Amino acid sequence: MFYSDQKKQVKLLNRRTFFLFLIKLSLFSVVGWRLYNIQILDSSKYKTMSKKNQIDLEILFPIRGEIFDRNKVLIAKNDKVYDVYIIPENTKSINNTLNALSQFIDIDFVKRRKVIELSKKVKKFEKIKIFENIPWSTLEKIETNKYSLQGVFIAEDYLRVYPYKDNFSHLLGYISKPNQQELSLPFISKMPNLDIGKEGLEKSFNPILVGKAGQREIEVNSNGRIIREISKIDSIKGEEVSLSIDLRIQEYAINLLKSHRAGSINVLNIKNGEILCMASTPTYDPNKIIQKPNKEYWESILANTLSPLTNRSIQGLYSPGSTFKMIVAIAALKYGIINTDTTHSCSGKIEFGDRLYHCWKTNGHGKMNVTEAIKQSCDVFFYEISKKLGIDKIAEVAKDFGLGQSYGISMPNQKTGIVPNKKWKKEKMGESWYAGETLISAIGQGFVLTNPFQLAVMTSIIASNGKIIEPTIIKSSGVSFKTNDKYYEEIKIIKKAMYKVVNENKGTAFKSRLQSIKFAGKTGTSQVRRISLSERESDDFREKEQEWKNRDHALFVGYMPHDDPKYAISVIIEHGGSGASTAAPIAKQIFNYINELEA
Amino acid sequence: MNLEKIKNLNYLLIFLLILISFIGAAGLYSAADGSYQPWASKHLLRFYVFLLMAIVISLIDIKIIYKYSYALFGLSLLLLISVEIIGVLGKGATRWIRVFGFSIQPSELVKITIILALAKFYHDIKFENIKKTIYLFFPFLILSVPFGFVVIQPDLGTSLSILILGTFILFLVGIRLWKFILGLILSIVSIPIFLQSIKPYQRDRIISFLNPESDPLGKGYQLIQSKIALGSGGATGKGFLQGTQSYLEYLPEKQTDFIFTLIGEEFGFLGTIFIIFLFILLIGVCYFISIKCFHTYGRILALGVASNIFIYVFMNIAMVSGLMPVVGIPLPLISYGGSVMLSIMISIGLVLNVELNYNYKKLDNA
Repeated sequence: MFYSDQKKQVKLLNRRTFFLFLIKLSLFSVVGWRLYNIQILDSSKYKTMSKKNQIDLEILFPIRGEIFDRNKVLIAKNDKVYDVYIIPENTKSINNTLNALSQFIDIDFVKRRKVIELSKKVKKFEKIKIFENIPWSTLEKIETNKYSLQGVFIAEDYLRVYPYKDNFSHLLGYISKPNQQELSLPFISKMPNLDIGKEGLEKSFNPILVGKAGQREIEVNSNGRIIREISKIDSIKGEEVSLSIDLRIQEYAINLLKSHRAGSINVLNIKNGEILCMASTPTYDPNKIIQKPNKEYWESILANTLSPLTNRSIQGLYSPGSTFKMIVAIAALKYGIINTDTTHSCSGKIEFGDRLYHCWKTNGHGKMNVTEAIKQSCDVFFYEISKKLGIDKIAEVAKDFGLGQSYGISMPNQKTGIVPNKKWKKEKMGESWYAGETLISAIGQGFVLTNPFQLAVMTSIIASNGKIIEPTIIKSSGVSFKTNDKYYEEIKIIKKAMYKVVNENKGTAFKSRLQSIKFAGKTGTSQVRRISLSERESDDFREKEQEWKNRDHALFVGYMPHDDPKYAISVIIEHGGSGASTAAPIAKQIFNYINELEA
Repeated sequence: MNLEKIKNLNYLLIFLLILISFIGAAGLYSAADGSYQPWASKHLLRFYVFLLMAIVISLIDIKIIYKYSYALFGLSLLLLISVEIIGVLGKGATRWIRVFGFSIQPSELVKITIILALAKFYHDIKFENIKKTIYLFFPFLILSVPFGFVVIQPDLGTSLSILILGTFILFLVGIRLWKFILGLILSIVSIPIFLQSIKPYQRDRIISFLNPESDPLGKGYQLIQSKIALGSGGATGKGFLQGTQSYLEYLPEKQTDFIFTLIGEEFGFLGTIFIIFLFILLIGVCYFISIKCFHTYGRILALGVASNIFIYVFMNIAMVSGLMPVVGIPLPLISYGGSVMLSIMISIGLVLNVELNYNYKKLDNA
């Protein structure tokens, strides 16, 4: 009995062992078959998925740094704006959603067609932008009716805004999408869609203002759908920039310029080189360039013959006219051609070579020394001294006073102008220098070309007794410049004369003197066209109402206060008539305004 | 302990262990981007230590093991209960206990002692009593108490494997088929109650298993990645160290539960089938030992161990190939992890022991 039980048990165990093994084998065959399916039959499908199921890098754009004036007033900021998108897969019917949306915001037929067509082309989870920068009231309506607007999605974005509109357009420039060339710039490398500065300081401070891109590592499947976020590094906002510009002076200057068609005003702090004002008209509103559509506005800018895009302060080149006479006088004093007692008699013209050279005062100034010649701006005196001086010495001094060069003020596309000498003419024109050309140059005409900002720097150097002024557009902290005694004695004489220009009877800017604070300066009138002999012979050619574009440019350079100069100015009014009548009064108003601000 | 017996050890079994463990080390080497650190070297070190331990276990007199079967079961149950009290938290489930400086999972050990306890029980009872329903009460207790504790840990994978292990052993000893069918029906009926009682993340796992595409960001993610890795391996694989999916960190826990996927990607269908083949051989050797053995205790023990290994292998591969929910079952000797390797090597030691003592007629020296 026991024995047979044992036998039975062994038999049962053997049988069940066998079955159990069969069960396991068949279960293994199931996984084997499964693996065969995945690895052999469907392998090609998974191979493509494996290639496409990759990690994508999504770039997180940084917020652009803000720009402030010297008193911490925001002059370039970022406003949060809202864009409206639609995500096709989140709505049952795009048509219905657009219908519902059109209750709050006007969707024209073309836009509607575009959105619907796009929704058929793109992947169903991709956002389609319908509107950008929608007004706040619309945003509110869309947000409150979110539930009836299936698939509508609102995203935040930042818009660069210049609150003082056209007051800083030339200084700041504007931002826009980079072009092909700019794409290779180091700060832009990973952000081809980031708006970058295209002009002015926005352009030159791009590396600082742009900030650092963040990134999000995302895993996307074969369809491009984001599966998950793997890592995220936040973007770093661009640095803030504080300019040396004083918003109040800048606005005041632009307003003064707006009563003329075109011009430029530059104010420098002589003590530390800070540019307080760099105004140029005509100007433009950078906000209108940034906000799309801007086609119409662009066309109006390009159609304007006065070229509003030009920053006349550094890109406009003018004959300096009589403002150049300080340079010639300093050179003549320095090289011993004259001293303070040297006089020349002005009869209204001199003959040199086979040509006549005229003074602006047809009847002549009479006997002139250097001080009187500057004060009354006698041309003949300068013709006389330049004959002995020669162009090369004038050019050398001109360069010492900052002409013919650009400055490290971070402003792109500065035009350096021309400080001619013999070598220059030979190289440029392949011709020798004519002695007569020296005479023309001595009154700031002919080849000599300067931009208005250079004239302000030149004036600063004179006002500071020859210090090497390094202008800056960034608010600086306690910079002082090296004294330079090279022209010390000469400058003293010239400054006395410049004081007389404004503050003594017969001085060309005597009418523009200020009682409250004494300033010094020099007028200039730069000839736009050659005056014909017949015109010159008719007594009243200057008084005649001439066509605007034929009128002379009006210039004035100056500094204030006279005894311890702190501010230097240059004013140019294109076709403004004479420096005395148009430019000097503007300089007076600016100086007066600065004086009020300081009080 | 008789050292003479060493020469009678089943060297085919030991060879298979070494081969599988080395494949595991290669996989771990690849998972670490071609480096022995941090997994491969430790994996091999553990294997050597535990192999030595298995051989030691094989040399213990089986009568001693037989005698202390229930005691060992009770001890492991105590360990299991203690993880409820002093266990450290691992992967959202409390499963680990620290013994002698390293973490072990009592739930792994308990599976072995369940085999021991059931083997002793069925060795002891008379043949005619096996079929009596009343005698099912004690085996039911042996299975349901640890099952209950593992479920509340909660460890879906291990509790499921305890259930299957129990089923296999009860089937082996001759429990009538209709009782299994009844048990199955009862289980299906209790599934809604079960789903209500489990934690939400476990429910999510089951739901995501049924439709992984529904939530590609979350629970179904591992499975999709796993299938892509396997499928892109093709017939012969991308080559050792050439797997792209794993290197891109697409595979979570690539060194533990998903190591098979990595091997599948690098060695293709040939590689995966070869591993299954090795495990069939390993299990086959255990079956051979079971059949060869004279006493019921040894037969059940060897087959229980074979079944346990089978359950690991089957569940792991079914899991990574998308036939089963992702329940966190490693691949024995290949996945990184000391606890599973320890329990596998202990049980292999027991099987070796059975073979060395196959010809005993009686186990109790009364």
